[in-house]
Amino acid sequence: MDLLAQVLINGVLLGGLYAVMALGLALVWGVLNIVNLAHGAFIMLGAYLAWYFYAYLGIDPFIGLPLTAIVMFCLGYVMQRSLLNLIVRAPMFNTLLITFGLEVVLTYLAQLFFSADFRTINPPYAGNSIAIGPLVVPLVRLMAFAVALVLTLGMWLFLLHTKLGRAIRATAQNLVAARLYGVAPRHLYAVTFGIGIGLAGAAGSLYGTVSQINPYIGATLTAKCFAISIIGGLDNPLGVLVGGLVLGIIESLTVLYVGATFGDVASFGILVLVLVIRPSGLLGKTA
Amino acid sequence: MARNTLRACGALLAAAVALVSAPAFAQDIVLGASVQLTGPVANTGRYYKDAYEFAVDKINAAGGVKIGSEKRKLALKLYDNQSDVNLSVRQYTQLVSRDKVNLLLGPFASNFALADSAVSEKYRIPMVQGGGASDQIFSRKFKYIFGTLAPASNYFGSTVAMLKQLDPAPKTIALLYADDAFDVSVAQGTRSLLKKAGLDVVLDERYSSNATDFNSLLSRIKSVHADAVLVAGHETEILNFVRQAKSLAVAPKMYSFTVGVPSEDFRKALGKDANFAFGMTAWLPNASLKDRWFGDAAQFAAAYKAKYGYDPDYHAASGVADVEALAQAIENAGSVDPQKVRDAIAKLNFPSLYGTIAFAQDGQIDLPQVVIQVQGEKVVAIFGGSGFVEKPKYPMPAWDAR
Amino acid sequence: MRVLRIGLILAVTVVLAALPLFGSDVLIQFGINTLLLAVLAQGWNIIGGYTGYASFGNSVFYGLGSYGVGIAMVQWNLPFAAGLILGGVLAIAFAFLLGIPVLRLKGHYFAIATLALAQVMSAIVSNVSIAGQNIGLVLPPLNNDYLFYELSLGLLIIATLTVAWLTRSRFGFGLIAIRENEEGAAVMGVNTTLYKVLAFALSGLFTALAGGIHAYWITFIDPESAFDISLNVKMIIMTVFGGPGTLIGPVFGAFVLSAISEVLSSEVTNVAGLFFGVVVVAAVVLMPRGIADVMRHFRSSGWRYFIENLRAHRI
Repeated sequence: MDLLAQVLINGVLLGGLYAVMALGLALVWGVLNIVNLAHGAFIMLGAYLAWYFYAYLGIDPFIGLPLTAIVMFCLGYVMQRSLLNLIVRAPMFNTLLITFGLEVVLTYLAQLFFSADFRTINPPYAGNSIAIGPLVVPLVRLMAFAVALVLTLGMWLFLLHTKLGRAIRATAQNLVAARLYGVAPRHLYAVTFGIGIGLAGAAGSLYGTVSQINPYIGATLTAKCFAISIIGGLDNPLGVLVGGLVLGIIESLTVLYVGATFGDVASFGILVLVLVIRPSGLLGKTA
Repeated sequence: MARNTLRACGALLAAAVALVSAPAFAQDIVLGASVQLTGPVANTGRYYKDAYEFAVDKINAAGGVKIGSEKRKLALKLYDNQSDVNLSVRQYTQLVSRDKVNLLLGPFASNFALADSAVSEKYRIPMVQGGGASDQIFSRKFKYIFGTLAPASNYFGSTVAMLKQLDPAPKTIALLYADDAFDVSVAQGTRSLLKKAGLDVVLDERYSSNATDFNSLLSRIKSVHADAVLVAGHETEILNFVRQAKSLAVAPKMYSFTVGVPSEDFRKALGKDANFAFGMTAWLPNASLKDRWFGDAAQFAAAYKAKYGYDPDYHAASGVADVEALAQAIENAGSVDPQKVRDAIAKLNFPSLYGTIAFAQDGQIDLPQVVIQVQGEKVVAIFGGSGFVEKPKYPMPAWDAR
Repeated sequence: MRVLRIGLILAVTVVLAALPLFGSDVLIQFGINTLLLAVLAQGWNIIGGYTGYASFGNSVFYGLGSYGVGIAMVQWNLPFAAGLILGGVLAIAFAFLLGIPVLRLKGHYFAIATLALAQVMSAIVSNVSIAGQNIGLVLPPLNNDYLFYELSLGLLIIATLTVAWLTRSRFGFGLIAIRENEEGAAVMGVNTTLYKVLAFALSGLFTALAGGIHAYWITFIDPESAFDISLNVKMIIMTVFGGPGTLIGPVFGAFVLSAISEVLSSEVTNVAGLFFGVVVVAAVVLMPRGIADVMRHFRSSGWRYFIENLRAHRI
């Protein structure tokens, strides 16, 4: 019984981390209709950035999270403004291809600058845990979960209740009308993508504290984020949280009851099921 | 449309011409290899590039390889296979059929060695590899593949022998292993070793390679109260395992890993958390290992560190051993004819900085593993063929008591 | 013009078929690899180019074909042909069973669903003991590159002829109708579900056969290399580069991109990966409808073609 409870806690906390990772992808996809295959690579870059801040400037990864996010935001803004804006109205899979190319380039550059060595962000409290009876709650994962809640709620408030957020959604839904209203679409698209990448950067910061960083973690992370975004639904940031939790819990339970090699079968299996039965996701509006 | 087709022909023919042209034949003896310089396993793959280059330079500095009355230098032709097995196979084919190298050196990792040895066997050019230890590589009765890594099934041999002599002796063992060729081989061998030693295996679990989350497995280890945990996996996984063990407050009496502990990179990434971890290595930079070109293993390690900036571990030593094996075999055979060199390699028996280089009937070297442990800043040899060398720090204290 | 065109194509085919006689070993290997990639591109062309359903998971068929051959030859000691048949059957069964639910999705969702299917199959196979789990299978070696080359060329010719037949058959017109306006096609009496599934199965069949040949040639398969995800991008990029929905486009795209990639990997080995990424990005931005489209419009618009592309697609 204790084991089950512990594994469930593990799953929930993992889910929180997953949610942060997928938030940026879901935002950009749901709002801008840009499917970013390089999302994992941006998480990786964010992680390296946070590592750099911690190793060379002594900035704690959690305190420095906004800093990492802002730097990544700028990177995302520039990328959208200069490159991705060029293919926004092209057929769907052009974005898939271009972001794939981007992923290859980013991974290569990361390997060039950081070499294939692995890095970890190891603040002194990294391995601490809180004991609740027989259960152990890893501190950093708990903090990451808190960050996930804050970011998801923040995104939800932003998109649904602020002027800028509504402008972004309007532009994505009807470009011409938005222009007529005086909205600057290129700037708005760039801001949105920037936010998405900023979120990826935040996720990277957390990821580096919990796991290890090397230039090649991008691809698997992207795949996970896809699953989470779809399972939760792209319409609503809160859906990402749900998606993350579902995936985290099911993966942890699968390892416990089925076998440690079946994790991927479970995650992608659920993804296929959701797509086939309810493509708009668990929290999405049915068309 | 016709123009389109014409351009297609042109493109194809141009590519054909570019690839058909052969390079000029050199006096140097060329050793070819396809190594992982980029891609997910590059952090270990590059050790082989450094090692091969270091060895070739050293042998050339000593005059080269003596064939009859003349001395010839060694040259290296290296390709980056980007951690892609299929590309690696094509590159080895290219090395043999287009670049016309004389002999082959191997890649890192058992699955690569497994696929690439099919090329060396097909073209009958001997390949000496120091990166693949899985039994599968040597069980196909191939004649042209040789390996300087000790058999996978025996990796935990000395560790299991040590377990029985620890006090208090661990009774329950958890065995975790990744699902690739090498680690499955290790697990198979370890299982029978544990059975023979009469130890109780309470957890025997295979996990997906490249797994990042070990929380569930760690929780299970805690709940079955395993005294000792043996993990056969890759460095990135073991890194995650240790960090997550700390954050879940899982501290068995001891844990031992097949990789990671000997490598400086790994210990640096973990920092203090690496303390108390056991591992194994078939090689330590001991001054007692004398070498024809490098003096001895200690001098080699110092020179290597001076040149490359990091301490060599058994991967690097294994890579150097491969080059030395080829050089010695060429001299023994008195020629670079692949068949003669192959026969000479099979009969090799000489001391080197890596230990005695001699291959068994199936082509694999047999070296015992020495149990090592991270103690503070250092890696200490603990247990070898003849018993305890140093006192182990055992049992491992709880994480919050360090 | 028509006769000239057919004559040229025949000439190229004969040259390709005779290549093993005067080419080096490396060239033949490159040839086999490229021909198989061209088959993949052509296969994708059927479901992606003609039907308009961009599958991002055709690699699943490749894997099924590889394992069909692998299991048949290693576990049951059957000959290669039997393995190919087994691979083909697995692919068609998969296309029918999973195609029906998945083909109800559109656009992104279909692409992601196929990708997810590929991942699931890869994960499942790495747990199946008859497939050697994650270690894979070692097939009996056959040192006969000529044979593999001619087989690959033959498969490519069959695939291309099939696509040629498609362009003038009722089935093909139905697929194009589905691509242009699926609801309209349904109203006109096209059995869209059946046609889509057939296209998916056909696409999968060729991909599986290519996978089977590759498996026997490389003599070693494991889930990661058999269900190689990067193949998906490769086959799409080659088709898009050459011109989707055209007959020769995918083949051309495959040849050119393979040549570039191989030359880079062997000469400039360091920047090979980087360069490929940059080429992909540039191609998508500047010529999203492929080289075929560039050829068609270059004469009339010249360099302005690229600028017009940019203007049309950006905001």
